[in-house]
Amino acid sequence: MTKPEPYIFSIDTSADETSAAVTQGRKILSYLNYTQIQSHKEWGGIVPSIAKRAHEERIDWVIEETLRKFQNTVGTGLKPVPTKYIDYIAVTYGPGLAVALEVGIRKAKELAKKYNKPIIPINHLEGHIYSSFVQNSKGNPKRDFEFPYVGLLVSGGHTELVLFENHGSFTFLGETLDDAAGEAIDKAARLMGLGYPGGPVMERLAHEVDNIDLYKFPRPLHASKKIEFSFSGLKTAFLYFTQKLTSEEKIKNIRELASSFQEAVTDSLTNKTELAIKITGVSHLIVGGGVSANKHLRSKLRTLVKKYNGSVHFPTYTYLTGDNAAMVGVAAFYNQKRAVTGDKRDLIERIPRLRLV
Amino acid sequence: MAPTDTVYGLLVDATNEEAVKKLIAFKNRPWGKPISIFVNNELLKKNVIASESAGTLLKELLPGPFTIILPSKYAVSHLLESERGTLGIRIPQYRFINELVEAFGKPITATSANLSGRPPHYRPETLLSELPKAKKTLIDLFIDGGTLPRNKPSSIVDLTGDTIKLLRKGDIMFTSAKTYISHAPLDTRKLAQHLCSKISHVVDGQPLVFILEGELGTGKTEFVKGAGEYFGIRDIISPTYVVYYEYKWGKNANNRFIHADLYNIQEADEFKHLGLEEYLKPHCVIFIEWGNRAGDMIHTFKKSARIVRVKLKHKTEHEREISVEQ
Repeated sequence: MTKPEPYIFSIDTSADETSAAVTQGRKILSYLNYTQIQSHKEWGGIVPSIAKRAHEERIDWVIEETLRKFQNTVGTGLKPVPTKYIDYIAVTYGPGLAVALEVGIRKAKELAKKYNKPIIPINHLEGHIYSSFVQNSKGNPKRDFEFPYVGLLVSGGHTELVLFENHGSFTFLGETLDDAAGEAIDKAARLMGLGYPGGPVMERLAHEVDNIDLYKFPRPLHASKKIEFSFSGLKTAFLYFTQKLTSEEKIKNIRELASSFQEAVTDSLTNKTELAIKITGVSHLIVGGGVSANKHLRSKLRTLVKKYNGSVHFPTYTYLTGDNAAMVGVAAFYNQKRAVTGDKRDLIERIPRLRLV
Repeated sequence: MAPTDTVYGLLVDATNEEAVKKLIAFKNRPWGKPISIFVNNELLKKNVIASESAGTLLKELLPGPFTIILPSKYAVSHLLESERGTLGIRIPQYRFINELVEAFGKPITATSANLSGRPPHYRPETLLSELPKAKKTLIDLFIDGGTLPRNKPSSIVDLTGDTIKLLRKGDIMFTSAKTYISHAPLDTRKLAQHLCSKISHVVDGQPLVFILEGELGTGKTEFVKGAGEYFGIRDIISPTYVVYYEYKWGKNANNRFIHADLYNIQEADEFKHLGLEEYLKPHCVIFIEWGNRAGDMIHTFKKSARIVRVKLKHKTEHEREISVEQ
């Protein structure tokens, strides 16, 4: 009989979600996410002090609940101390909001010391890559790895393409030169008075007008032969365009505005992903990060890979598109050799601008 | 023939009439068309007359990609001066030229290495292939600096009159000593590099803080990207989502480059929780977008840091006015 896969307890506090999970291999055994979006909504974005305080207030509860659920899932055999069965503690050490990352790392160190466990430090972006392979407690979906993949990471803080050759092995293909796609969407949403986060509302409004591209906003770097994104010019073009409109005009055309903007963003994402497929010759695609929840983007990417006889995977469950600890636990499973023990654990530091490659 | 901060240039001893004649013959340049010279601060005083107000502006602009026209003191070959008796001087932000001038101890001509009426050159290969053999034999030494970045020729600024006259537009444009005009993101980046080159030396002794103010889309992030390039950082992206990013630069392990964005900060109090004070020490350069939202913290910064305030404004859709206050 093969040795059972280790139990990994994971924490992610990179931005506005306080998240913990217990995973075994690719399976989520227990998971809890406390979202702060409500607290940040009125501000129109993540606010550092609120994020830090919210993480600090919630993290103990999130951890306890996650362990309690773990105990219930796995059964009476683990009673009374679930921590005894945990093999590793995984934690996100970057990229992310510095003061938020700090809360999770400190907690991971505390637990690791108390229960004498090794820590596996994990890159949050690597987590997003693995979110397409996370399984529920029954081990579904069963999808296997078919390396290599082109990975598209697209969220409020990131927009980049990497080549995922094998576990722990990435090649950088390109990233945004300025704003992230999700950030551009949030900023445009704010200009339209749609609130934070802007993505879901914009998607709904666009859907109501069949994703029409009425205003044909610019697609920066569209013709460039390099894998690189830019959304800052689009944002400025949108700003100038909306400034010329009266508030009545803005309200009347809000769907068309949202739709045209979303179209410009998703078009840029698809265009550069296609370039990455052409350059690498790899047509299996995985997509992670908050913007991967966008259905319009998904449908465009599906059409794209069909053209190249490829495939595309998105996070297996919708709640895994956002920041979460489950993906961090699964990434840690494939990177156990990075485990840090003893005093070396104290050396783990947050790296807010951590790169995947 | 040698690389300069802008394009490939033709360098001769500006005090040697024979050399200057050879230069003019090489360029097929009409007689009477002035040619500017590379100097250092000491040679500047010996060669041109700068009024007090011109002196103030010189301090802001030099070293940098500018040619400044001032009344000549007639110390160089008269062939380099204009008919009005003015002379164009340049102090570039370019180590090779600066050290050459220093070692030579005399002004050196600063004209581009193209023939009159032809575009300037960035690549030695195209430069050499354009030249007829007879011209090539006139070159005594060719210094191959490889392909140069595509910087425009310098802006030419006439300070001889009561008002500043801009005779040629280079990468950096301005309307006064403190106000610059940007026509494109690249202009904004170039300006940031220019400003950094003039002030970055202070980080050896104290932190340097740039407070950037300006509405959405005025080019704040572009400015920081330009500054990043000056410090050798090429992967700067917007930190809006995470509020700030930290970068390392240069050889000193303590060197830090902080790029903060307070776009999401609605109350000055929020700023206190970022922990940016820990970067208030020498070898740290801090850029704060939406810096007007930092509130009282600015006073804390002022106590130890050198502050540069940069205000960016929309003039037209493609034009920005950037004012700098140090």
